[in-house]
Amino acid sequence: MLKNLKKPEILAPAGTLEKLKVAIRYGADAVYIGGDAYGLRSRAGNFSFTEMEEGIRFAKDHHAKVYVAANMVTHEGNANGAGLFFRKLRDIGISAVIISDPALIDICINEAPGLPIHLSTQASATNYETLEFWRKEGLERVVLAREVSMEEIKEIRKHTRMELEVFIHGAMCISYSGRCTLSNHMSLRDANRGGCSQSCRWKYDLFDMPLLKKHHSLLGGNKDKEAFSMSAVDMSMIESIPDLIKNGVDSLKIEGRMKSIHYVSTVANVYREAVDSYIENPTSYVCKQEWIDELWKIAQRELSTGFYYHIPTEKEQLYGERRKNPVFKFIGEVLSYDSATKMATIRQRNHFRIMDEIEFYGPGFTHFHQTVTTMWNEDMELIDCAPNPMMIVIMPVLQPVKPGDMLRKKKDTSEK
Amino acid sequence: MVNLTATAESVDQARRLLEIGIDTLYIGEDTFGLRLPASFSRENQKEIVKMAHNQNKKVTVAVNAIMHQETMGKIPEYLSFLADLNVDQVTIGDPGVIFILQRNKYPIDYIYDGETLVTSARQVNFWAKKGAVGSVIAREVPFLELNAMAPQLKIYGEVLVYGATCIHQSKRPLVQNYFSYIDVKEAATRDRGLFLSEPQKKSTHYSIYEDLNGTHIFADNDINLMLELDKLIELGYDHWKLDGIFTRGDEFVKIAQQFVKAKMAFHENYWNRDLSIHLEEQVKKNHPKNRGLDMGFFLMDPNNIK
Repeated sequence: MLKNLKKPEILAPAGTLEKLKVAIRYGADAVYIGGDAYGLRSRAGNFSFTEMEEGIRFAKDHHAKVYVAANMVTHEGNANGAGLFFRKLRDIGISAVIISDPALIDICINEAPGLPIHLSTQASATNYETLEFWRKEGLERVVLAREVSMEEIKEIRKHTRMELEVFIHGAMCISYSGRCTLSNHMSLRDANRGGCSQSCRWKYDLFDMPLLKKHHSLLGGNKDKEAFSMSAVDMSMIESIPDLIKNGVDSLKIEGRMKSIHYVSTVANVYREAVDSYIENPTSYVCKQEWIDELWKIAQRELSTGFYYHIPTEKEQLYGERRKNPVFKFIGEVLSYDSATKMATIRQRNHFRIMDEIEFYGPGFTHFHQTVTTMWNEDMELIDCAPNPMMIVIMPVLQPVKPGDMLRKKKDTSEK
Repeated sequence: MVNLTATAESVDQARRLLEIGIDTLYIGEDTFGLRLPASFSRENQKEIVKMAHNQNKKVTVAVNAIMHQETMGKIPEYLSFLADLNVDQVTIGDPGVIFILQRNKYPIDYIYDGETLVTSARQVNFWAKKGAVGSVIAREVPFLELNAMAPQLKIYGEVLVYGATCIHQSKRPLVQNYFSYIDVKEAATRDRGLFLSEPQKKSTHYSIYEDLNGTHIFADNDINLMLELDKLIELGYDHWKLDGIFTRGDEFVKIAQQFVKAKMAFHENYWNRDLSIHLEEQVKKNHPKNRGLDMGFFLMDPNNIK
């Protein structure tokens, strides 16, 4: 039975052209990006057509695909020009667009025929009948709502040929996606048009009110007690990859177009390793502790499996404790390696110095640790620290490295 | 011709709403419908439909929940029950229900109700193409956008003229999770009457409760468009909804009556500013004492929303 397992795609976020390349080098089969318009991440780096074309060329060279998220819920007038936009995406070689708004779907189908459409998770698709509705419209994939359980995925898979995409890692909306306008009402920022102010993560007073303005707080003004909040911990499905593959999921999606290249490279690398390892030998597969440890290095919040195995309890929400900062920081990337001298040329991305314990990692889940013993700047002057952003550093390394490998170090406890 | 739809919380209230001149009753059961004043038994649904039809009035049944597979399994039986009752229309938010409705050819009209998701004419017209007879317009659409949408609409856009606006639906039991965290035993039902206030605006009061469909949060104030009804009429928005989820019993009937009076005034051409102010006062008088009223996004400049 396990012989016919289909290897799912690993789909990573790419907020910028640099992140696109990093995600693909680190194992993503596909990336999703935002264009100048119609997306939900107004603050994520969005791509111009020229950048998209370069991204597509890079992706093609690496047998990867590029999708464009156009997942806003348009108001009157917002969809103007969408037909032209979608035709342009189709013509430059974008593999699919991710849409939830039926107006944009309608425009895409009619004005850019041939451009595949994936239904965004914003549409909260939770059953196979919904998938069949959209399949009839010509959509080829649905990103399931994050509220769908593993059992439900199994059931859905049995009843539809629609491609299934699910989230496996990253931050989550606490609401059904698309069904929350807290931000609209509290901050005049439209959550469904890229303006979400993350009101769910604020701290609220919870009270009853027999008469307007007579608030009877449930905490009775006790400041020591935790205020009400609706902040979800993040998702990680690293320990459940076999379940997703056995249930026929076609694409495993990583959240985070706003996230750093450190994040994107680490997460793509881990899931690439896990999926390949499982497909290669499902019967002897084990989820390795080093993969889990690796994901914790870039975690910003606690991690959970969302709705896959149970309805999330208070343990899957954040109360009180401040957002956890990653304990590792990204300090540089390898530009070149000289095997004769065993020296690496590195571009600095964060301050580091002599005697720092650092870790190199690269695509294919290569890793090693070493202490920084000697460093030169690009004029071959000995230096004892690398303080300047993007400065060139040359240093001896204990193992061969490749261009594109990354360096990180554990944060000093004194650092914030 | 204005069509006034009002929610009903009981057979008795349904009867009174029909007596005062409501055109369409809005009912349903919690498994399939979102945020209803009451979950009606099959027997009561039958009785209400019969009562309305005897008076040539209509009934809309809410089938607008986001359906997980288990609930979806019960949909054919429910639609079949509603078809036998000859229900006039259902509201649907999940396209999977439209799929079943059409595949099994139940002779029921549907109104698309995607809550926050219907914000442009092209969206409304998409659902028109898929067979909808009307579409509920999101509460976040200001008048200026309604204005731009109006000439393009192929089916009617229903507008909430009175009642609470849901601004958040989570499948998680957010209040019970919080109670577990702070280790208290409390109810989180609608009857418990809980509110939230924003950290920076302590005077705000967003209703919050849990039911079968998850956790629901409502806008700071309920909607009351009494003073602006002429604007809707002018643009042809003649399907008005009154939602009594937080306004119960006689008070809701009295408020509904003010809107019936407004409707009559439009039909017989005597609507004027004084009348609207008078009717609005009556609405305010009967509105729950622990809830506010405003016009929501109606008068907002769309450019002020980022």
